[in-house]
Amino acid sequence: MEAELAEISRFVQEVPPFEHLPEHKLQAIIKLISICYVPKGEALPPAQCQGDKLFIIRKGALVYRDQMGELLGKFGEGDLCTIFCSANQIGNIEIVTEEDTLLYCLDYPTLAEIVEDYPTVLNFFKCSAAQRLNNKMSELNEEAVVSASLMNTDISQFYHTPVATLSENASIRDAAIQMSELGHSCLVITTQDNQRQPVGIVTDKDLRRRCIAQGLDYNLPVSTIMTTDMLSIEEGSQAYDALMLMTAKRVHHLPVMKNNKLLAMVTITDLMNHESQNATNLTHLVRKAKTVEEIAQISQMIGKLQMRMARLGTTADHVGKSISAITSAITIRLIELAESQFGQAPVPYAWLAAGSQARQEQFAHSDQDNALIISDDMLPEHDAWFLKLATFVSDGLAQCGFIYCPGDIMATNKQWRQPQKVWHQYFERWIKNPNPQALLNGTVFFDVATIHGDASLLNAVKDKLLKTTKGNTLFLAHLSRNALQNKPPLGFFRDFVLSKNGENEAVLNLKLNGIAPIVDLARIYALSQGIAQCNTIERLKRVAGTPALTEASAKNLIDAYEFLSLLRMEHQASKLAAGLSADNFLAPKDISKLEREHLKDAFKVIKTLQDARQSAY
Amino acid sequence: MMWQNQLPFRWWLGFEAKRKRALALAPEGPLKDFLATPFPDLSCPVNELPLVAVDFETTGLDAVADKLLSVGFCQLESGLINLGSSFHQIINTKQKLKPENVVVHHITDEQQQQGLPLEEVVEDLLKALAGKVMLVHFNQIERHFLQQACLELYGVKPPLLMIDTLLIAKRRLDQRDVAYDPSELRLTNQRSYYQLPHYAAHNALSDAVATAELFLAQTTHLSKDTTLSSLLA
Repeated sequence: MEAELAEISRFVQEVPPFEHLPEHKLQAIIKLISICYVPKGEALPPAQCQGDKLFIIRKGALVYRDQMGELLGKFGEGDLCTIFCSANQIGNIEIVTEEDTLLYCLDYPTLAEIVEDYPTVLNFFKCSAAQRLNNKMSELNEEAVVSASLMNTDISQFYHTPVATLSENASIRDAAIQMSELGHSCLVITTQDNQRQPVGIVTDKDLRRRCIAQGLDYNLPVSTIMTTDMLSIEEGSQAYDALMLMTAKRVHHLPVMKNNKLLAMVTITDLMNHESQNATNLTHLVRKAKTVEEIAQISQMIGKLQMRMARLGTTADHVGKSISAITSAITIRLIELAESQFGQAPVPYAWLAAGSQARQEQFAHSDQDNALIISDDMLPEHDAWFLKLATFVSDGLAQCGFIYCPGDIMATNKQWRQPQKVWHQYFERWIKNPNPQALLNGTVFFDVATIHGDASLLNAVKDKLLKTTKGNTLFLAHLSRNALQNKPPLGFFRDFVLSKNGENEAVLNLKLNGIAPIVDLARIYALSQGIAQCNTIERLKRVAGTPALTEASAKNLIDAYEFLSLLRMEHQASKLAAGLSADNFLAPKDISKLEREHLKDAFKVIKTLQDARQSAY
Repeated sequence: MMWQNQLPFRWWLGFEAKRKRALALAPEGPLKDFLATPFPDLSCPVNELPLVAVDFETTGLDAVADKLLSVGFCQLESGLINLGSSFHQIINTKQKLKPENVVVHHITDEQQQQGLPLEEVVEDLLKALAGKVMLVHFNQIERHFLQQACLELYGVKPPLLMIDTLLIAKRRLDQRDVAYDPSELRLTNQRSYYQLPHYAAHNALSDAVATAELFLAQTTHLSKDTTLSSLLA
């Protein structure tokens, strides 16, 4: 009978989490379905579906509201309604059909029995949004650990095939001619019979040392200068093993064998090129750069690095830290170049980064937020030097792809190029008189870090700041009110993002409506507890267990933050790969149904903590 | 009360007389059991009716000359289509299929040779139908082929209680006083009128489920006190 209900099976199979189930379980679930039809405007559950039931929307739409009538969510074809799975879950939610709706109704206890051996499926109905998100994140983190390096890259990713070969009776000169023509630095020498078994290898170095330097006749057979005890590696080995072998034996070329036959060649340059894309190497290159142009050249690789890290499954936290580290290296190198050009600074100072760079959450192609804090010994005439420095670095950063800050939060702006005592005043004013404009600036500078120079200048300001924010309910209330205006969407409805006012938006702004609310919450918690860290995850870890935030909530927020950042990073990587600019706008139709579910869970976590924050003030 | 209405009452008397006559004639077995089970009351509200949505695939439209090829059905009770009760069976007609028909029903000779004999399938169907009302789309096919099969198997043509979603649709369209294309009455077109999901595949079971869904949609737009008597085909 299965084939006769194929269309219903196919439909159910595409609804998360049923996709995890084998065919016989799916068929048992199909048998469990009762189809019912609920006309527009009626409350769920329908009279004929009393008891613990799971509903799948086959056609139509459901609207969820709380008892105050506030919209909680809207669901369409292929969405589940788990509210009625157990009586104690229902709470004060009212669910009404917004269109004539065809529902598949499943008896929940029986369903739970059918899928009892499939915890991922069961969790989907049972767990809270936070628990589901946590499961997803631990899964992703495991993947990240496994796939992060050359350790797990197969040698086939790097080798060249076919390999250039030459018969052993050919002359040394023939070898040199062939190498020049092919542009290769090595040849594998084979037997002259039809077997063409590899017997040795000849490199540029052999030509130099064993032939030219020795004054050897280049018409002699190439076998006279070849290396016979040739190293090789088996096909299927890991790139890491090849790199280790070549480093240990000091060779630059390694033939790859398959069933005793020569298959391919891997060179140390291939492996190093791969590694050179990593953050440490980029930082290293930046430090050695001699001109702004050179730095700009190197910084073009940042996008590629981010893309590669995203593809390898690196966590967004790691990527953010790597990119921020490179930006810092670039900034420092630019400052050094400026100092060598304009002479040493007249008084001690520090170059500050604000916003995402200070939080170490920067991605490629972000804008620059920076400032200068200068020793109080500064004289009015000293400002000319600092303006030159600021202009040089800011222009340099722009050349490297970091666009000028649209809000003019840059050291080139006199307002943000001030002695320490003025910075003390700034923070004092933002905290004592937290009007919206003051808080807008404040929010940027509450995430601030020293990139270069005398760190004690900023530390003193921060120490004083944190003492005044800790437990300062008036200030925190204002900051909270500002931050809480930015709410996550309610979820998805069909292929749209459902915003709080019930409107459908075509795209989700991952940064504004997902990541920023968490960053804002973490900042409020940190300031309320006098915690100096700027990084969102570190802030959340630090405040966990304080009166500001429970351990469990901190964990949920970290999961939500990591998930959203990962999604953003993957989205940007695919945009960059397609030659488009890396934006934050995610269209629901571009992500899987399962990802939508996880996103909804993340939104719920954010909303729960925003609501808690709201009621605290 | 429907008894105040003369017409259904007389219809019912006629139906009951036919049922009793058939019952007296029917041999011991599935048909007799089917006829011996009382049918739902004519005053039964439509949402409480025990229904069985049924669809047949046949080799043609003539119940005498053509053969029943497959039977699909599922129960529809108190507003719920129960897929656990769904049934589908291909019948071995013991004759070769005409190629032009295979295009319509997609049942191949090989499949039908592995099918069950007509008698077994009709027995299963009659068991499921006992005490219930048949729900079909275009009642001529199911009525005539089932009666013909019973005549061949048991020597008696039973009266059958049926609701026809095509007739419900026709009534709605006739009331509009606007000319319409008869193709609008097709199952697929009626389903899209109610924005029900499109089923690409056609077989007796999926059409039975499709008919049942259509009926659910149709009846939500009928008055709450609609009874069986006003829907009988």
